[in-house]
Amino acid sequence: MSNTFIALAVPALLLSSAIFILLFGLSSYYTKNRGYFITLATLFVSFIFASLGIGTKFSMEILPQIFNSMVVYDTFAATFISLFLLGGFLTLAIAKSFVDKTDFFTHESFVLLLFSLFGMVVLTMANELLTAFIALEIASMSVYILVGLNRNSLKASEAFFKYLLLGSFSASFYLLGMMLIYAQAKSTNLDAIAEYILHTELHSQLLILAGSMLIMITIMFKIAAVPFGAWVLDVYEGASLPITAYMAGVFKIAIFAFTLRVFLQDYITFDSVYDPLIIGGAVVTMAVGSLLAVIQTSVKKMLAASSVVHSGYILIAFASIGEATASAASAIIFYLFAYFISAIGAFGVLSYISKGSDKLIQYEDLNGLAKTRPIIAASLTIFMLSFAGFPSTIGFIGKFYILTSAIEAGYTALAFFGAITAFISIYYYFKVIAHLYFKEAEHVEVHYGYKVSLAFIVISALVVLWGGVGTSLLFDIPGINELNAISKYAVESLGL
Amino acid sequence: MSLLSAIIFLPIFAAIFLFFVHLHINLVKIVYMIVTLIVAYLAMKLYIDFDAFSSIQFIEHHGWIEQYGIHYHVGVDGVSLGIVMMNALLMPLVAIALYKQRDKRGYWINLLFVQGGIMGAVLALDLMLFYLFWELMLLPIFFMIGLFGYGKNNFISMKFNIYTIFGSLMMLLSILYLAVEHKEQFGFYSFALEELKNITLTTTESLLVFSGFMIAFGIKIPIFPFHTWLSDTYRSAPMGIVIVMSALMAKLGTYAIWRFLFTLLNETSQELAPYFIWLGLFGLIYFGISAISQTHLKRMFALSSASHLSLIVVGFFIYNTYGLIGSSYFIVAHALSSAALFLMVAMMYERVQTYTIDSLGGIAKVAPLFALFFAFFALSIVGVPLTAGFVAEVLIILGAFEYDTLIGFFAATSLLIPMLFMFKTISKVLYGETNEKTQNFQDLRAHELVAIIPLALLILAMGIFPNYFIQKIEPTAKAFVDKKEAVYYE
Repeated sequence: MSNTFIALAVPALLLSSAIFILLFGLSSYYTKNRGYFITLATLFVSFIFASLGIGTKFSMEILPQIFNSMVVYDTFAATFISLFLLGGFLTLAIAKSFVDKTDFFTHESFVLLLFSLFGMVVLTMANELLTAFIALEIASMSVYILVGLNRNSLKASEAFFKYLLLGSFSASFYLLGMMLIYAQAKSTNLDAIAEYILHTELHSQLLILAGSMLIMITIMFKIAAVPFGAWVLDVYEGASLPITAYMAGVFKIAIFAFTLRVFLQDYITFDSVYDPLIIGGAVVTMAVGSLLAVIQTSVKKMLAASSVVHSGYILIAFASIGEATASAASAIIFYLFAYFISAIGAFGVLSYISKGSDKLIQYEDLNGLAKTRPIIAASLTIFMLSFAGFPSTIGFIGKFYILTSAIEAGYTALAFFGAITAFISIYYYFKVIAHLYFKEAEHVEVHYGYKVSLAFIVISALVVLWGGVGTSLLFDIPGINELNAISKYAVESLGL
Repeated sequence: MSLLSAIIFLPIFAAIFLFFVHLHINLVKIVYMIVTLIVAYLAMKLYIDFDAFSSIQFIEHHGWIEQYGIHYHVGVDGVSLGIVMMNALLMPLVAIALYKQRDKRGYWINLLFVQGGIMGAVLALDLMLFYLFWELMLLPIFFMIGLFGYGKNNFISMKFNIYTIFGSLMMLLSILYLAVEHKEQFGFYSFALEELKNITLTTTESLLVFSGFMIAFGIKIPIFPFHTWLSDTYRSAPMGIVIVMSALMAKLGTYAIWRFLFTLLNETSQELAPYFIWLGLFGLIYFGISAISQTHLKRMFALSSASHLSLIVVGFFIYNTYGLIGSSYFIVAHALSSAALFLMVAMMYERVQTYTIDSLGGIAKVAPLFALFFAFFALSIVGVPLTAGFVAEVLIILGAFEYDTLIGFFAATSLLIPMLFMFKTISKVLYGETNEKTQNFQDLRAHELVAIIPLALLILAMGIFPNYFIQKIEPTAKAFVDKKEAVYYE
């Protein structure tokens, strides 16, 4: 199959499937189960298509005579697209009980999910600021509505409004920034901008600097970096658990994918200007995120706050991109995968034990789970260890790459700060483990059902472990080396 | 799978198997016994096949994370052999002594896991692999204290965990820094011990890297300012893990100083050695004096153990053949004695349900065998002649005198302090009048004797025929000191 075909097929499949469900939902043949499985199948098939591009190095413009090099398809895009298609698939697969038991998860929800994924796919392939903006808005709009799905919940509605207002507000910064860049570089195409930056004196490109800064604000907002991430706690709390998982694990990856492309192609030329800002952002994000995570009493909010901390770690790598380009960029991709698989798993466990209700899981609700449900408890423990960067999990390898790239770039102090943050995170992640194993249960044994959800949770846990110790020498399964190679190919395909 | 890998992974896989397959508790104990006995057998084989004339052997080397030059690289030498043997020997004996007291699956699973973790950390020759096992062995200890501990065990397990992970993270930064430096100086990443020692660092860099490592090791041992987790943790932890911590984990910290700091940062270590010798001597006295005033038996032995570990640190930092051999000998000797002593404390607790020294007394009258062994082990810890501790202490003191007369003098005299509290404990616990708690004190039972007698025999053997054991360590120590002097005179 040619790459052009895949590049067109994946978004087309998502889009047509979305429209199909939209119409099919009105017919009398529609049941929730059918909608669910059509969505799953779509995600799976498009994932298979996209994953064909992983691990080989290529880069091509999609139908340049039609799209005028607004979209490109390269290994970078293929890697990220398969990553979040897999993410969408896993989220939905684990959330089966949630889908079944809630009445607000109607056929439109599947449609919105597919639309948002379509937006992310285009965002990842966008090679041009305007296209990226449209794609970003398609994805964001769908996610806004997904957050507010539960109309009966006041918290969900509040979260929806907060996210919608702030999100739209921040998007206007992007537009302004893009306009400033266009005013100077006379183009919105990333390659053309890069060309312009390269051939112009640094001090004469003030508009581009200012514009990039404004775009950065939008990005910082979307990844919930401090001080632009004030929305994150309320929104993550208000949204239903699978949606929170989707936002933390999948949506964030798409944003980072676009950011990484912009950074590697354009910003890298004046990283000396931005590095202090990003370093400052990383430090503040990690510090405030840690503080927030420490004081939470509910597990869900703690995970939300800790996702801010993880954005901070990734910002460390972004700061190091100028000096240690290859290792920092592949560290980001690896870390995103590590965080995504752990987050999907952890939120999945929470969603599984809350049995589809919108109950806020407190630490106390986990008490004694190790006795009644040892497998679930063990999986959640593995995810927590991975978040905390404990060796033998994929989270450790991710942190290892990020800290190494920071030291390689000469930011040893920043790496030290990252280590301190990881140290603080031990407290709140191990608190979960302590509640799972050390506290006595008050509730009687509960039957959760849904073996499929359980199976996917366990698979995610195994992936987390295998990503921490795996090597293809032992079994013929791709391990750390292969994941590493994948992220390296992805970075190389950008042709730096 | 070759010998060392089998020793490392057999217990770990057994632990995972037992976690997933729900066996009856008796079957769990049987599997535990079988696995630890196989490990002990393998370790014996290792000991017999160990070539006394070469340093690191039984090397295994496979690629792991190739892009960053991380390898699965294990090997054994004279010093690590001692810890491997102790680990392999103590685990089955712990089970023999305690099997009647403990009826939870998790207890035995965690013990198996910790055995594998310690084996891995001792045998690793790649810094990343070492870090992996160093952290991994923390997990079962955390679970053991939280699940089976006494008192405020949740708080204490959390405190212990956070404390040690802080050290580990500082060490991780040091490791990463070395690897990046290696890349800058030689063009590729490496985490192998023998490659990393070739890099050159400025004074500030090496000081920072050194302190990163030292914080991690200092917390685990613990040496003086990092000991605040110690007495609570020992008091709260269940006996199986107390033995692991005092006999194995703490020794691992001292071993790591020797293996990693002295290899990687030889010159810095030598320059800083006087400070650590004084710190160690201070710790020896400080922990000794705090031990005298303890009324809780476990805490008392915890502090006494810390006091002797400070002596081991002194022995390593003295940096001559006597000091090195003495310290590695003391690692083994102290592991035997303290494990045996803690086992006896556990048996005592089973009978009288108390750890308070003041509520005991007169045991010698009702339980002569118990008293005999208790006194023997307590004396062997303070280094009474004919026991292993004596040989080790004499060697360390000889080394100290060779290094500096004043330090030798201090080391020799401060060894009186442990005698002080040991004699006090022996007299209070074993002699005096019986009370209502101790009057029905049951003497040692058969399975308890089975667990203890091998330890006693080994302590005697190591005290009477030290040459047979020292010859395995000597080439390692000699090779090391020669190399150090070569560097010194260059």
